[in-house]
Amino acid sequence: MSDPALGLTMLMLIVVVIMMGFPTAFTLMGLGIFFGYIAFHDPTHISFADNRVFDLMVQRTYGAMTNDVLISIPLFVLMGYVMERGALVDKMFYSIQLAFRRVPASLAVATLIVCTFWGIASGLVGAVVVLMGVIAFNPMLRAGYDVKLASGVITAGGTLGILIPPSVMIIVYAAVAGQSVVKLYAAAMFPGFFLALLYLVYIVGWAMINPKIAPPLPEEQTRVPVPAWVRKFQAAYSPNMLVALTQALLSPSKAQEIEAEGRRLGYWMLIKQLCIALVPFVLIAGTLALAWWYVVIHQQAAPDAAVSGVQQLGTPGLGSGPATPAERGPPEGFYFWLGLCALAGALMVVRYYRRMDADRFEVLKLLTSSVMPLGILTVVVLAVILFGITTATESAGVGAAGAFLLAMQARTLDWKRTKEAVFLTAKTTAMVCWLFVGSALFSGVFAILGGQSLVEHWVLSLNMTPVQFMILSQAIIFILGWPLEWTEIIVIFVPIFLPLLKHFNIDPILWGTLVFVNLQAAFLSPPVAMSAFYLKGVSPPHVTLNQIFSGMMPYMLVIIVCMVIMYIWPGMTLWLPNYLYGG
Amino acid sequence: MNVQSFLRTIDGISTWVGKAAAWLIIGLMTLVCVEVFKRYILNAPTAWIFDADNMMYGTLFMLCGAYTLAQNAHVRGDFLYSSMRPRMQAGLDIALYAIFFVPGIAALIYAGYDYAAISWRIAEHSNVTANGPPVYQFKMVIPIAGALVMLQGIAEMVRCVVCLRTGEWPSRLHDVAEIDVVEEQLADSEYVDEESRKIAIARAHEIDETARQRGMGGELNT
Repeated sequence: MSDPALGLTMLMLIVVVIMMGFPTAFTLMGLGIFFGYIAFHDPTHISFADNRVFDLMVQRTYGAMTNDVLISIPLFVLMGYVMERGALVDKMFYSIQLAFRRVPASLAVATLIVCTFWGIASGLVGAVVVLMGVIAFNPMLRAGYDVKLASGVITAGGTLGILIPPSVMIIVYAAVAGQSVVKLYAAAMFPGFFLALLYLVYIVGWAMINPKIAPPLPEEQTRVPVPAWVRKFQAAYSPNMLVALTQALLSPSKAQEIEAEGRRLGYWMLIKQLCIALVPFVLIAGTLALAWWYVVIHQQAAPDAAVSGVQQLGTPGLGSGPATPAERGPPEGFYFWLGLCALAGALMVVRYYRRMDADRFEVLKLLTSSVMPLGILTVVVLAVILFGITTATESAGVGAAGAFLLAMQARTLDWKRTKEAVFLTAKTTAMVCWLFVGSALFSGVFAILGGQSLVEHWVLSLNMTPVQFMILSQAIIFILGWPLEWTEIIVIFVPIFLPLLKHFNIDPILWGTLVFVNLQAAFLSPPVAMSAFYLKGVSPPHVTLNQIFSGMMPYMLVIIVCMVIMYIWPGMTLWLPNYLYGG
Repeated sequence: MNVQSFLRTIDGISTWVGKAAAWLIIGLMTLVCVEVFKRYILNAPTAWIFDADNMMYGTLFMLCGAYTLAQNAHVRGDFLYSSMRPRMQAGLDIALYAIFFVPGIAALIYAGYDYAAISWRIAEHSNVTANGPPVYQFKMVIPIAGALVMLQGIAEMVRCVVCLRTGEWPSRLHDVAEIDVVEEQLADSEYVDEESRKIAIARAHEIDETARQRGMGGELNT
């Protein structure tokens, strides 16, 4: 058998053996050793052990052990495991649902937002679907929501976690493709949140067209629990809480009459309440200040940071990133846009505070205690990575430490949970990295045997256009996503496509981001979608699997629409990495 | 020594080493944080930090390989596998262990031993920076991890034999699983009713297993 034919046999065998259910890391090692031994066989060497495949193996292993991209995996994984033990999901869901109580399909919207947040924190599909199934699915069904709507939003939202940064999948792709992690994070930023936004538009739109599928909640479920002292406090000063709190600080005599939580209101308590009331203002002002600092001060501090003037896309002021293209120093339109954003922000803040009654204040308090710590930590971690202030590894380390601090502050972390988080991190890291060791050997041998070039010649001989190649490659990955986990796809099959991208002039970052989005669709496709089975496990008996599957279908379509948009306007994906790090 | 205690002993060794190595992640986290503080705030970076980070991370995941295997946590294409009967699974597994696992890991031990021995003999130091820290002890991790994985693999093969004879998989040591977070989240939740909470906590593991089989086990396919 010729060498390239051996290579193809190897590829065929790996598919077969994976389907037989043997741990993939060891399958890869075994196949790599066998075929490598044949490839390196030299009849002049008498000794059995005198074969260079052993050198290849140990070099590849050591390479994985000193890989400076993979090193951030355990840190991000630890951050995720600590966070999912530290942040209380049901409290988050409750407060977000109250905050959105006037939006159509408020429970579904809250579910999606919680899933997005959870997706930032960790990348587990199973746990989040089961949890949301308990916390959100039954309330939705009880409120009379359409079963398809309710099941679709949980399954689709649950799989978002593997896409939204900081996700382990992106790190592994970066290691496989030799791309920069931060660039990929920046690229996955917009599609991840854009997909969540598309889901949101779809839910709210559908609920507005057909209000029957998501009836509004009964009055008693949307009532905000306002403690008695807040009512008395309002009566004593002013119905507007911000005004009332300020007045109380200036003339506290009336406030000290009021009992709250068993104690009289003191200065300290009042200051704390005022701080909570000021959170929205601080957040908006902080975001704008950060944008100004990054564009004006940070760029001057590092004048060599190459930033190309890419045409602006997207909405200005969206998220925390600066919204205008930056030449060196503050660009021309920057102050105009910053001013515009500041004006819009100021208007919103003023409008919010004018209508700040006790309900809004209580919702704000709930949100501040449940969502904000997690939100701030993730935004800080992402901002620190994206703005290139530290490396991905360093941000991951600081993020993990921050997660510990948050969980301790929320008093949700004890010794048992710390141990669990550490051991789970070890297992997940070992799983991913041993797989990487195996595949590094496998792909090395595959290339030496010439299997890689055979595949390349074959694909090139088909004379495809880049669009055709794109569709073909994504279709193959989509189909592989049915039986396989993302780890196997990214580590074994993606490397086969990577060298071809250059022939077709496709940006590996764009292609990779498309793969991430694509895998979302694969994990939602019946009848193999695991999330559907997780949801079925916690749902009441009258919900059938077919209902869950048909609930997921529209979201698959949304994902495909998202991919088409990403392909037609690659700028949407590539704008942020190009803006931050240059072309 | 009967089979069960043999399996327990080997599982115990792998798990103990794995769990001990798992704590390196806390060390790595601390090291990174201290270095961030030193580099960005005190402006005094440390030269050997890159090597130290790598050593912690590399040792962590290599030594946890056997632990992960003992917990059956290495990723496997369980799409078809999980719907087979235990005897069929065991038969396939033992064949594949003999064909792929044993030669692969034996090669890793052999090659790793050579690699580490050379490094040990020349007292190799890292060449990332001038006068870097020694790396021979780090390279020793490869054959050690390989030997641990091999030991655990032997235990797994014994498991397969037991399963072939009795038709049932021998038990594993209990350990934390990803799905456990469901219990932790729901245990002290205030907004979920008592009943659905209890059901979900009690059934979490079962749900996880069924979902992995994707309903192939029957029962759910309605």
